[in-house]
Amino acid sequence: MSQIISKPAIRRLVELWLRQGKRVIAPVQVRPNLVSYQPVRGPDQVLLEGFVRPLNSIKQVVFPRHEQLFQYRVRGKQIDLLPAPLPDIERIVLAARPCDAAALPILDHVFNWEFRDAAYNRRRELTTVVTLACTEYDAHCFCTSVGSRPDDTRGSDALLLDLGDGTLEVRHTTDKGQSLFAGQTQASTRTAPISPGPERRADLRRVSQSLEQAFERSEWAAWTNRCLGCGACAFGCPTCHCFDMVDEGGPTCGARVRNWDACQFGQFTLHASGHNPRGVQSQRQRQRIYHKFHVYPKKFGELLCTGCGNCTRNCPVSLGVLPVLEAMQAEGA
Amino acid sequence: MRPMTNIYQPDLMEVLDVQQQTADVKSVRVRFRDEARGDDFHFRVGQFGMFSLFGYGESTFNICSSSNWKDFVEFCFRRTGRVTEALWSLEKNDTIGFRGPYGNSYPMDKWVGKNLIFLGGGIAMPPLRCAIWYALENRDQFGDITIVYGARRVQDLVFRQELDRWAEYDRVRVVCCVDPGGETPDWTGEVGFVPAVTERAQIPAENAVALVIGPPVMIKFTLPVLAKMGLADRDIYTSLENRMKCGVGKCGRCNCGPVYVCKEGPVFTLEQLKSLPNDY
Repeated sequence: MSQIISKPAIRRLVELWLRQGKRVIAPVQVRPNLVSYQPVRGPDQVLLEGFVRPLNSIKQVVFPRHEQLFQYRVRGKQIDLLPAPLPDIERIVLAARPCDAAALPILDHVFNWEFRDAAYNRRRELTTVVTLACTEYDAHCFCTSVGSRPDDTRGSDALLLDLGDGTLEVRHTTDKGQSLFAGQTQASTRTAPISPGPERRADLRRVSQSLEQAFERSEWAAWTNRCLGCGACAFGCPTCHCFDMVDEGGPTCGARVRNWDACQFGQFTLHASGHNPRGVQSQRQRQRIYHKFHVYPKKFGELLCTGCGNCTRNCPVSLGVLPVLEAMQAEGA
Repeated sequence: MRPMTNIYQPDLMEVLDVQQQTADVKSVRVRFRDEARGDDFHFRVGQFGMFSLFGYGESTFNICSSSNWKDFVEFCFRRTGRVTEALWSLEKNDTIGFRGPYGNSYPMDKWVGKNLIFLGGGIAMPPLRCAIWYALENRDQFGDITIVYGARRVQDLVFRQELDRWAEYDRVRVVCCVDPGGETPDWTGEVGFVPAVTERAQIPAENAVALVIGPPVMIKFTLPVLAKMGLADRDIYTSLENRMKCGVGKCGRCNCGPVYVCKEGPVFTLEQLKSLPNDY
């Protein structure tokens, strides 16, 4: 037996969650050709079909673009630090793509590696993720090349699959997902077909060793030559998590804040002495690929990539991890 | 479950003393405003901290005092950017932020019974100094100590008075040098670059470990000299100075290949460095 729910019933649930003061984040058609994850104001904004994937990711639900870490107040020689209050609003991410949800357990590693990031973990606890299995793809999707698939449940509390007649099959994967839909679904004998997903282009889980050997190859410049260094690949990526910490405010009051950052910027690694270990754009592209397919798996046992393709989709010159890795593999590296 | 603390919020520290070392280098002595925190605080030489001035930002510096000194810690900086420009105006009784200690440390326990060779250039004296004082304060645990320290000019030598004090210890040899043209009329030290001066100094390499810290160009030319002297790669140590923001393995910029310098470093042997990609 399966559990099903109609799309109107889902929208009624969205209305209920919003009334309960929860934040609902879902794919929204911002304008023609632009779908983006956003907090919704009403149930009709939620896209439940007809899109490949948003151009941003759901990481901002647990790791905001900009956040205060603490505030400072200076009165003469007296300095007071006021910790930023921990988040307390419950969040429900609805109709997230599996390639976005899968990023959350991957990010858990780095945010809990010896030093635990309190705000990140608090937001994780407050967040329930309902994914929507994919049925359509574009040329940039490559989840099947990183060992994932259109109905991957990693990071998902409940998975919705389209039955094609205005109803969705609901598969709970956690207690959180179970309680979210408790009493809202009907038993059915129908199960949704699973799409095979985009054609598998490579097995990128096994690229780590060849990357280790290819580090010094001179072709990195050619493989990444067109990169503009804009960082769009990182900001749209579900797993990129690099950040900067700076003070905002004056000498008497202000805050230390954390902002998203990207390894594609020259200043990212610039030493005070002027030395820069990654002073050239191709070294910064190489770092991004290495971090995702060599460093992170070596450290935490998982690729720092879910195959969503947003790096290429958002890239003004159509670069991104897959084109670079394919160029590399084409040259026998 | 124990509540998680905010790992990005520093402790407050009171400035006890500021010493101007050179035209653009100062050292600062600080202690925790919260006495209990100070009593709890322990670090090992070679570790670093994130030091900040509110409204200006945070910077990474080695803790350049010895871990045997209990009531305060010291750091040293060159005036070179936004944060250090602001730190330059620090006065006694001012308050700064401190997070740490972070990173690994010099394996002083492993060095017991060894002859120690410290080689440094310019602003690299502070991260050597903590280990030098530590070794001198545990003098009977270590063999001969040789310190080779160079700067561009005489007036660029950091902790210059301490160099003279170290030379007075038993079985300690201090070789000081300045680049050609950087000497003053009364300069009695060597003239030349650290690699060449090290070679001329004929330091016995038997049963020795070396700690080499300095600008990349100094390290690059000093390593072959140490190899020629007979030191094995596993007995040559350095401390990397990659740019950091969080210090706790999250912000993603200090990695050198698969190694996060803030957590698995900053101290590495040459043997370890050779196994890493050329990314530092």
